[in-house]
Amino acid sequence: MTDRYTPQVVDHLVRPRNAGEITDPSGRGESGHAACGDIACFTVGISENVLEGVRYQVYGCAACIAAGSALAELVDGKHVIEAARVSKSDVESALGGPLPLGKEHALTLVLDALHKAFEDHWTRTAGEMLLDGEKGPASAGKSVVAAMSGGVDSAVTALLLEEAGYDVATVTFRLHDGEKGGRSCCSPDTVLFARDTAHRMGLAHFTLNLKELFQRRVMQDFVGSYKEGRTPNPCVACNAHVKFQASAFLADELGYHHVATGHYARVEEGPALARPVDESKDQTYVLWPVPRELLARTIFPLGEYRKSEVRAIAEERGLAVAYTPESQDICFIPDGNYRKFVRKKVDAEPGDVVDREGQVLGRHAGVVDFTVGQRRGIGVSAPAPLYVTEVRPRSGQVVVGSKRDLEVREVGVRDLNWFLDPDETARVQVRYNGRPVVCKVEEAGDGEWVAHLDEPVVGVAPGQSAVFYTEDGERVVGGGVVARSSL
Amino acid sequence: MMEQVYLDNAATTPLDPRVLEAMLPHLGGVRGNPSSLHVLGTSARDAVEEARASVASLLGASPEEIVFTSGGTESDALAVLGMARSAPPEKRHAVVSRVEHAAVREDARRLEKEGFEVSWIGVDTDGLIDPDEFAAALRPDTALAAAVWANNEVGTIEPAHELAGACAGLGIPFHSDAVQAAGRVTIDVSETPVSTLALSGHKLYGPQGAGAMYVRGGVALEPIVYGGDQERGLRSGTQNVAGIVGLGAAARLAREELVERVAHEKELRERILAGAERIPDVHLNGHRERRLSNNVHLTVTGVEAESLVMFLDTLGYAVGSGSACSSGGHKASRVLIAMGRSEREAFSVVRITVGKDNTAEEVDRFMDAFSTAVARLRELSPLYAG
Repeated sequence: MTDRYTPQVVDHLVRPRNAGEITDPSGRGESGHAACGDIACFTVGISENVLEGVRYQVYGCAACIAAGSALAELVDGKHVIEAARVSKSDVESALGGPLPLGKEHALTLVLDALHKAFEDHWTRTAGEMLLDGEKGPASAGKSVVAAMSGGVDSAVTALLLEEAGYDVATVTFRLHDGEKGGRSCCSPDTVLFARDTAHRMGLAHFTLNLKELFQRRVMQDFVGSYKEGRTPNPCVACNAHVKFQASAFLADELGYHHVATGHYARVEEGPALARPVDESKDQTYVLWPVPRELLARTIFPLGEYRKSEVRAIAEERGLAVAYTPESQDICFIPDGNYRKFVRKKVDAEPGDVVDREGQVLGRHAGVVDFTVGQRRGIGVSAPAPLYVTEVRPRSGQVVVGSKRDLEVREVGVRDLNWFLDPDETARVQVRYNGRPVVCKVEEAGDGEWVAHLDEPVVGVAPGQSAVFYTEDGERVVGGGVVARSSL
Repeated sequence: MMEQVYLDNAATTPLDPRVLEAMLPHLGGVRGNPSSLHVLGTSARDAVEEARASVASLLGASPEEIVFTSGGTESDALAVLGMARSAPPEKRHAVVSRVEHAAVREDARRLEKEGFEVSWIGVDTDGLIDPDEFAAALRPDTALAAAVWANNEVGTIEPAHELAGACAGLGIPFHSDAVQAAGRVTIDVSETPVSTLALSGHKLYGPQGAGAMYVRGGVALEPIVYGGDQERGLRSGTQNVAGIVGLGAAARLAREELVERVAHEKELRERILAGAERIPDVHLNGHRERRLSNNVHLTVTGVEAESLVMFLDTLGYAVGSGSACSSGGHKASRVLIAMGRSEREAFSVVRITVGKDNTAEEVDRFMDAFSTAVARLRELSPLYAG
């Protein structure tokens, strides 16, 4: 660490390269904040994935000006993949070595501005296409867009693909504003962290802004479901409408063939979705809605590994993410309190707590507070434990009963996505950590299928997923959303 | 390195060759501790006492009211902490302006941590303290008050006479940091009833590491270092004889040449101001009239201070910036914030301070370089649409 500027910094300061702004750019990105003092803006002109023009502006210290100039010079004329690979240490090298102590943020600032310009470019390119879920044709080749959250699983996914000889471009999705530190340029931020991780592996990194798509296809449904007495699964909705579509969009734009995520699952011929080696991490239950044509081009490298092996790989390759904690909660509700989250979004109206015969047992503050199978927070005392057996949003009633009243043998499923012939169905799983139960399925008409269970199961909540498996329990035949259930 | 034009005289001044001349014997041949009894000690003591008389003369003080220290910061600390710690226990309140140099401000904040209550007195948009507001904050339990004589950033000369008078009337000790003012403003402690003053050698064309303090007779001060009882026990430690001799010579020259220096600096200052007025969106900070003769403090809209200072540096001109940028974000000048400027404005300021050795030709060349640098950085700036 040094306390003064290198001659290269001084040179970039007095002879900045690529200064200014492109009028009518392909993308524009700005990073920085009034409170931090520094602001960097990049405008890019991209044609057929080549950076035909790049211009930058900086209000900031000499380090920021020089870093912007050096970065612009490094990426000018390059293919976007090459440009998206340029890291903070590349800029640092171009500036002749480390910046003075306390000036390192200049590198993050200018890189973030450039990447936001790329992000803007993709947003402009995608337009309504991404929102409507249309997909372009896949091209051939050993190339893959790997989704990168910043955690250990997605980092190892990208690493394994790279080591397997793929051309890898990583992508992080900006899904909502709830990320911690998102309001300040100087504090750690999910996107910055993921970009750093990718760059440390020498991989190109892009960010896609999917906030609108996520809001429309996941968040609204999440909140709306509770209002309608259903129990939503936002991860399923995200896999159905957001994550895979967005990855495929970027792959198509880059001329890349595959998409990959860090899910624990496998893709077999067919394509068929199959359980992973590490059954304790099995995520097939949330992957059923991935469209067939997208599953056909998807790779889940972690399906072949145990979680402990994944951590060991990260550790061995020196990835800083090796020790990041497991993420369990819904990503846009970091504190895990989804009741509070829903409560803030909808007006709850009080109603009656009733038994199966319709006898009023008490009052409740709103149906959004209840989900089928719930035992806590009912607010009615009874000799035996009471469970929510049904939520009736129209009448505002919450029906309670004994545990036996929760048992169902017939489940009506809608919005189906089949990978295999429905006749191959032998079992159904109705909860994330549930056990598959032997069943038979039949088409009930009007888009609904009915699963007849061999044994009663409890706590089947409308809105949750029903996922069908083959006789050996290894492969997903298809899945859908629970619409109703009965004994 | 190319020859730099030095326009950062508020940070430090070049050593006057005549001062160096006076110091040299004490750095080379002559030895002796001023506390020693032998002839070498006596001669060192004589040199220190001669310097004391010169410094006293600059301030209109008696020699025995002068204490030598290591510089302005130490003098400020001895004054602020020393007054607070010698005050009776029931006096746990201080009145301090919001435009103090860090040397005073941080002492006051230290007192806050020790349980003192501090009334921080604001300023107007020119950085001027309102004497009535200052006086109104004084209380029976006020242990001390402090206000800078002339601000080191924006150059505003504060109403020291009124502030000192208000305190004296109530018997409250009053300290003023006169580091920037000494040698530029006539200071006469027989007229202005300050209790203590701080000054520094290297702002007066003297050496770094030598400072002085005026302590009015009868003012109680608890020392901050203890030892051999030098400097009447207020500042223990063997005196920095060469430094003190240099400070003495510098003070003597400052007094003799004050009128001439101020006139010269003012002329240069006005030349810079006239040039700055021709650049759009450049504004002067600080009071237009009640202003140090050497200070030009400018807001340059759309340009960040550090980059401008660095740019000018490469062109061969040394000026000061008004903010510090680090990875934790900029630290906006508290003085400018106290004057009602936004953080953004506070990051876009540059301080140009001339000295007795600058020439009109240098200043004219500087203004050309300055307008070039501003134009170039504005072309780069996303915050300036020119």
